[in-house]
Amino acid sequence: MSGGPPKALQSTGPHSLRDMPHPLAGSSSEEAVGGDSTPSPDLLMARSFGDKDLILPNGGTPAGTSSPASSSSLLNRLQLDDDIDGETRDLFVTVDDPKKHVCTMETYITYRITTKSTRVEFDLPEYSVRRRYQDFDWLRSKLEDSQPTHLIPPLPEKFVVKGVVDRFSEEFVETRRKALDKFLKRITDHPVLSFNEHFNIFLTAKDLNAHKKQGMALLTRVGESVKHVTGGYKLRSRPLEFAAVGDYLDTFALKLGTVDRIAQRIIKEEIEYLVELREYGPVYSTWSALEGELSEPLEGVSACIGNCSTALEELTDDMTEDFLPVLREYILYADSMKGVLKKRDQVQAEYESKLEAAALRNEDRPKVPADVEKCQDRMECFNADLKADMDRWQNNKRQDFRQLLLGMADKNIQYYEKCLMAWESIIPLLQERQETK
Amino acid sequence: MTENNFWLKKIEISVSEAEKRTGRNAMNMQETYTAYLIETRSVEHSDGQSVLTDSLWRRYSEFELLRNYLLAFYPHVVVPPLPEKRAEFVWHKLSADNMDPDFVERRRIGLENFLLRLASHPILCRDKIFYLFLTQEGNWKETVNETGFQLKADSRLKALNATFRVKNPDKRFTELKHYSDELQSVISHLLRVRARVADRLYGVYKVHGNYGRVFSCMCRESCTVYRMLFLTRYASSIDDILEDEEHYADQLKEYLFYAEALRAVCRKHELMQYDLEMAAQDLASKKQQCEELATGTVRTFSLKGMTTKLFGQETPEQREARIKVLEEQISEGEQQLKSKNLEGREFVKNAWADIERFKEQKNHDLKEALISYAVMQISMCKKGIQVWTNAKECFSKM
Repeated sequence: MSGGPPKALQSTGPHSLRDMPHPLAGSSSEEAVGGDSTPSPDLLMARSFGDKDLILPNGGTPAGTSSPASSSSLLNRLQLDDDIDGETRDLFVTVDDPKKHVCTMETYITYRITTKSTRVEFDLPEYSVRRRYQDFDWLRSKLEDSQPTHLIPPLPEKFVVKGVVDRFSEEFVETRRKALDKFLKRITDHPVLSFNEHFNIFLTAKDLNAHKKQGMALLTRVGESVKHVTGGYKLRSRPLEFAAVGDYLDTFALKLGTVDRIAQRIIKEEIEYLVELREYGPVYSTWSALEGELSEPLEGVSACIGNCSTALEELTDDMTEDFLPVLREYILYADSMKGVLKKRDQVQAEYESKLEAAALRNEDRPKVPADVEKCQDRMECFNADLKADMDRWQNNKRQDFRQLLLGMADKNIQYYEKCLMAWESIIPLLQERQETK
Repeated sequence: MTENNFWLKKIEISVSEAEKRTGRNAMNMQETYTAYLIETRSVEHSDGQSVLTDSLWRRYSEFELLRNYLLAFYPHVVVPPLPEKRAEFVWHKLSADNMDPDFVERRRIGLENFLLRLASHPILCRDKIFYLFLTQEGNWKETVNETGFQLKADSRLKALNATFRVKNPDKRFTELKHYSDELQSVISHLLRVRARVADRLYGVYKVHGNYGRVFSCMCRESCTVYRMLFLTRYASSIDDILEDEEHYADQLKEYLFYAEALRAVCRKHELMQYDLEMAAQDLASKKQQCEELATGTVRTFSLKGMTTKLFGQETPEQREARIKVLEEQISEGEQQLKSKNLEGREFVKNAWADIERFKEQKNHDLKEALISYAVMQISMCKKGIQVWTNAKECFSKM
């Protein structure tokens, strides 16, 4: 867990469109890369706020911070030191301590959620509750309903389809815990979502089920009105910036899918390689038992190969537990963002058609009717919220991916270093007898 | 044939080229085969300069002929093995085709190694047929056949029989036979698994090449693109790595085949020992027969005794005649037994001396092989570290 108080993000709520710098401003038209004919928005080098303002990652526990000495956690600390923003965080949320519960009807895992806050919305300075995945799912859908203009972070997948994965295995539970922790931290970082009533209840209520049953309709004004927007409005055109975002998301999801597939393939090949290595090493041991003078050298080689096998196993485990889940999470994120974009389109469509209808009815009246104005407000709010969230997302994503890739490179370097050490240490053993002959 | 030293000066032997040829075989059918150029140079002691003295072409079957001749005439020597006739223990990228250039190249190296082993063997290097192999291209085959080595070679059946029936072989040979069986088994296993490991490693490296392509599309700056391409180069470096590893596999294979040569020496011992035992047994029974005839007592059941009882005794003259024949045979037999004993002991002494020489060679060679294998692995690890460190640099600039 990274220590020290991470800073809050710079944008703190909806701004008017006119005040905010264009998130995609400053990014020149994308250059084609390596023979690629379609200019694609750069996946990892968002030019929005990132360059001048050091915006922190969402304070979560990205892959690699479990061991304090890992370079990605060092990276975290550097960013904390460099922060120039003066705001102090006043809400801390952590997910830990998974426990298995066995009941007559089912078996499930709960996680402890610890909250520390000085905010007035919280009665006590500290809370500790237990929640299960269902509860997180409930929270997310409540957030989606009540804050439809914002990007809600994704949850880890509900069902595990791939092969026979043990839902209660240590690795699976730990991977899930990390993802749930990240989910809550992203909400905590969000200037609007973190104040959401459902979020508050999730963090504090002793008995969440009671709240669920009440089916509270704590919807904001915007939320309510957006809920009443039915489909059927045709959008003329998306504003340029949102169209660009939409295209970007499509390309992003595509590329991410490719990276995910390749990563899985690599892990699979490495595991098959590992299987053979595990058989290879012991044969040298068998041989060593037959020999006299060669016995020690052969045994040494066997041990060496054994060490390399172990190092490889550690590498594949790390990749499976830390690398793949983050990729998948971002794919889910991209999907849910596309959903929000569509909703925004709906709001704009409604506004445009109502405006058109009003114009047809009242050609000479300059004043715009109230309900059309309401629509306009709604649309502008949505646009502003979405823009702010997109910026935040872009920055987080850049940090996350940088850390992810650095972590991957680190893990591979560690693997090779372990193997190198093993082989180098055996050379003197192999050479020794020859010199004394 | 065996005592001359034909090499007045130090020589260098190399199998420098391989060439595809077509010709007609024994059944007058057209065939394609590979011929190898053998060059022999003699080295001047003073300045180390070498002069080409002989150069001729030989094909694999002639090498085989040479080896079979040596096996027949030097049964107490652990005769160096030939490289494999057909490609075995291949992993998927290697071809199992005898005409494949890589296979031919590795075989060329193996044949050169075979000749070098012969030249450095204290006994074999003095053989005339070996000398002629390197110096007389035409008519060599006929010369070999004229030695009558095929007759000298022991039949496999005889050897098998001896193996089962021998009562008192030298314990060291029994242990050696056991060792060579186990050695053969363990090296075969090792080579099989190594081939599979190579296969899998190849797969891992190649898939990383796909990473390189994806990342190079994802990055903007041209220099990072260039550096991302390393992943593609990293993927192709595996070809060189695995080629080097094949050399290691070939070194192991040589000793796999050496196991068979060891067994051949053990078989010869068992054959000689069995022969000796049979001769001793025969002698003992003849002596007993003689005694029985002389004293008139029949200690054991014999056909003669039975027929005598049934058909009447023989005359004293007949008996005398038979005793005399037996005594002659016994005397001959004792001579033979003495010389067989001597032969046997000589064989054991010489064979064991060569076996000790072989053991030293084996320990030395295999240690060298393991060291070079470790060095290969170290170089591979270092390359991997470099590649990923470059990648890290790239990623940190994002």
